[in-house]
Amino acid sequence: MSAPELVGGSAADRERIAHELVTVTIDGRQVQVPKGTGLVEAAAAAGVEIPVFCYEPRVGAGIGACRMCLVEIEGMPKLQTGCTTPVTDGMVVHTAGTSEQAAAGQSATMEFLLLNHPLDCPVCDKGGECALQDLSFRYGSGKTRMTFRKRSLEKPIPISPTIALDRERCIMCFRCTRFSQEVAQDEELSAVNRGALSMIATFEDEPYRGPFSGNVTELCPVGALTSTQYRFKARPWEYEQAASVCGLCPVGCNVAVQSREGRVQRVLSRNHPEVDRGWLCDKGRFSYSHLYSEERILTPRRRGVRELEELGWEQALDELEGMIERAQGEVVLALSGSETLELAYALAKIVRQGAGSDRVVLPEQAADALDPFRVPISALAEAEEIVVFEECPVLDRAPLIELWLKQARRNGAHVTRIGPSGDIQRGRGEAALACQELAEKESALGKRLRAAERAILLWSGGGGAGGCHLAALAHALGLHEKEGSGALLLPASPNARGVAEAWAAAGDENRQPRQIGLLVVSGDEAASEPQVRQLAEHARATVALTLFAGDSGEWADLVLPATGYLERSGTMRNLEGRLQRLRGATGSPARRELSWLAELAGRLGVDLPGSEAALFTELSAKVLDGISLASLGDRAPLPPRVEAQTFEAARAESPPTLLGGPLELIRYRALFSGPEVEHVPELSFQRPAAEVEISPEDADRRGISGGNEVVVRSNGTRVTLRARINAALLPGMVRVAAEHCAELARGVEVSRP
Amino acid sequence: MTGLFAEIQAVAGRYPEPKSAVLPALRLAQEHYGHLTPEALREVASALGTTPAYCRGIASFYDMFHLAPVGEHMIDVCTNASCALVGAAQVLEAFERELGIRAGETTPDGRITLRSAECLGGCGSGTVVSIDERYRQPVKPEDVPAIVEELRRG
Ligand code: SF4
Ligand code: SF4
Ligand code: FES
Repeated sequence: MSAPELVGGSAADRERIAHELVTVTIDGRQVQVPKGTGLVEAAAAAGVEIPVFCYEPRVGAGIGACRMCLVEIEGMPKLQTGCTTPVTDGMVVHTAGTSEQAAAGQSATMEFLLLNHPLDCPVCDKGGECALQDLSFRYGSGKTRMTFRKRSLEKPIPISPTIALDRERCIMCFRCTRFSQEVAQDEELSAVNRGALSMIATFEDEPYRGPFSGNVTELCPVGALTSTQYRFKARPWEYEQAASVCGLCPVGCNVAVQSREGRVQRVLSRNHPEVDRGWLCDKGRFSYSHLYSEERILTPRRRGVRELEELGWEQALDELEGMIERAQGEVVLALSGSETLELAYALAKIVRQGAGSDRVVLPEQAADALDPFRVPISALAEAEEIVVFEECPVLDRAPLIELWLKQARRNGAHVTRIGPSGDIQRGRGEAALACQELAEKESALGKRLRAAERAILLWSGGGGAGGCHLAALAHALGLHEKEGSGALLLPASPNARGVAEAWAAAGDENRQPRQIGLLVVSGDEAASEPQVRQLAEHARATVALTLFAGDSGEWADLVLPATGYLERSGTMRNLEGRLQRLRGATGSPARRELSWLAELAGRLGVDLPGSEAALFTELSAKVLDGISLASLGDRAPLPPRVEAQTFEAARAESPPTLLGGPLELIRYRALFSGPEVEHVPELSFQRPAAEVEISPEDADRRGISGGNEVVVRSNGTRVTLRARINAALLPGMVRVAAEHCAELARGVEVSRP
Repeated sequence: MTGLFAEIQAVAGRYPEPKSAVLPALRLAQEHYGHLTPEALREVASALGTTPAYCRGIASFYDMFHLAPVGEHMIDVCTNASCALVGAAQVLEAFERELGIRAGETTPDGRITLRSAECLGGCGSGTVVSIDERYRQPVKPEDVPAIVEELRRG
């Protein structure tokens, strides 16, 4: 059992109180718990269950809404709600197990909760994993005295394309609204009306639009909030579950991938308290159905006279083998950073050992400079000062981090954002300079950072020289000497560091080809990189591993079907440096990469084991100090910090001047973008609008107001977008989501058409 | 920017958190628009830096906020326990007869809205009737025609 969690108070308070112990007696069992522990947790520590519906410490302190946790406390005249009562020394408590009064109270509560409940369990998606069903069974009376008609309402109503609401089933526990208000802080969901007429609603018929909305489907203790994609798909006792990790961003939330009949039916959280605290973003939760999109490529394809034509695996491997043979010493590998270590290692080995070539294009650099300042993500919640060098919004790079930042602010942390739309406004490319100034010049922020016991620095954007700039600042602030302080880099891809390690493990020569005989592009992110596209133009032949034809379908000579992260087994290294295990869900409509790669390796005379475990052992011996897969467990530990070394960081330079137009275009990859999202119709309402964000000053100067249609232009490219005034944006910059940028250059002009 | 927007922001300035001003802000918006239309709620939300969903949650909790159109005059008849014991049901019926509408409705000319209310807190001398937020008590069924007449004239 996990340690009881403390409720409320600042980090410092909790730390102080945690050292004082109190003794309580619950159903005759004595237990010692830290002062301030809630009664529900204290009872759990004593091995006694107090049933709850509304209580969920992750959305805040108890509010006593459902009355399920009623207990008798000696010396108190009436029954008390366990979820709102912190224990005190000498407290004697009787739960329903030993107190008739408490049992009667609880049974009456059950009766009230079921008064208007439709009891449509046979057609309810929650059936089999419903707290109301389970607790009715154990604490309810089994009979109803309700002879009036129950409240009946239209159901289910969509509160967004991904979430359905059945108001008849709702027991008004306010978990969902507290999540929306306190955790996600989007305030999109609220309770309307009063008393028996209360219900959960969004505003008018607007959808609940927020990057974390799906968490309410897991929080709801009954079948009131359910996932539209999962509706009527399976019963909880029917699926197989894989304890895996989300592979869509560098956070690496721990997930349970549940499948039935060889298809993933849903993705739930698997609460790693240091990484995700049981939350997921909607991209991670709802994008799984892209795997079953009709457009997914399931068989190899070769460029024919006019278009891509299908071919069998045997032929495809013949073809690929031939391509490699013809391009000996001239093969280039482009990795996306979404590969597992194992897959990247297998590819790297084939290129380095089977084709005698050592040229690779790696995703944005994420090196080991920050290892001396390593902290678990959860440390953000306890930090006093947090500085975010935010050239790319944290939300788009590593969504869960944004949720942790909200929690940090709720706990009283100062969060300072430095960037084009930050609290301290700095232009693009100036993050390194800002970092350097903070280290060298006197400033109020610098003083606060030095004084703080727990300070954390985050870098969200490119050009961090693998974290070196941030490391120099962290070093100057002495963060390596303070527990709970540290520095983290949020890379653009989920496993940027892991694939670099895998590449290194596959060989130690450095044979750089003069020309490109064959370009191997793994994954869609790499395929959409301008740099990779340029290489493709110069390559004699190109092979792409991909889920969808997408970018690479236009220029690859051979397209091989890839598997998705939910189907892959292996390991990934997240932004903290935590090595986590993915366990592929059962079945994939496409052939596993490692199976055909092993075959190919055999033909090329490369010794490549076919199993993930064997690959891991091999590469671990080379670059991971021989750690074992087993040591990673189901909830992977954070590797210890390494010794800090003094080092010289390169001097930061001012960004180069613009070409093309007077406004600097910030092209960003929005959270809800990429092939995984594009192939899920339910998520299309979350995709970035075709708009350009512009500062009020720049808009005024051009006679543009919010909502206007405008033309964004540079060197011959014109894109028509809607203007959105962003008061936080630094004048001189405009922001457009990458999918609406077309071929716009860095300098643009914006005008009315 | 409308005058209302500025007025709300001025009120919000008196609170440490702008959101805490939601009740007076809704009140101002209701005075301005007659009832809290979706636009009114949007305006309150943007003046306070919160969402219309949050404002609607609050507004729908209180009887004195109206999310749908109401008459120029508002009659609330308490039908809770203490008043019920001294004939509140008859008082309400008398209003219904006199106005030709049911509780919860507004007269076709848009002048008067009649509602039954939960405890108005004047239990000592029922039946309590609130007319445009001013109490009359005790009200007997026979007082009703005169009250209605007065409102119609007023
Ligand atoms: S919808 Fe679910 S989570 Fe929200 S209040 Fe109702 S029962 Fe609770
Ligand atoms: S935050 Fe990242 S790792 Fe977590 S669910 Fe979302 S995409 Fe996946
Ligand atoms: S769990 Fe305590 S009142 Fe709901």
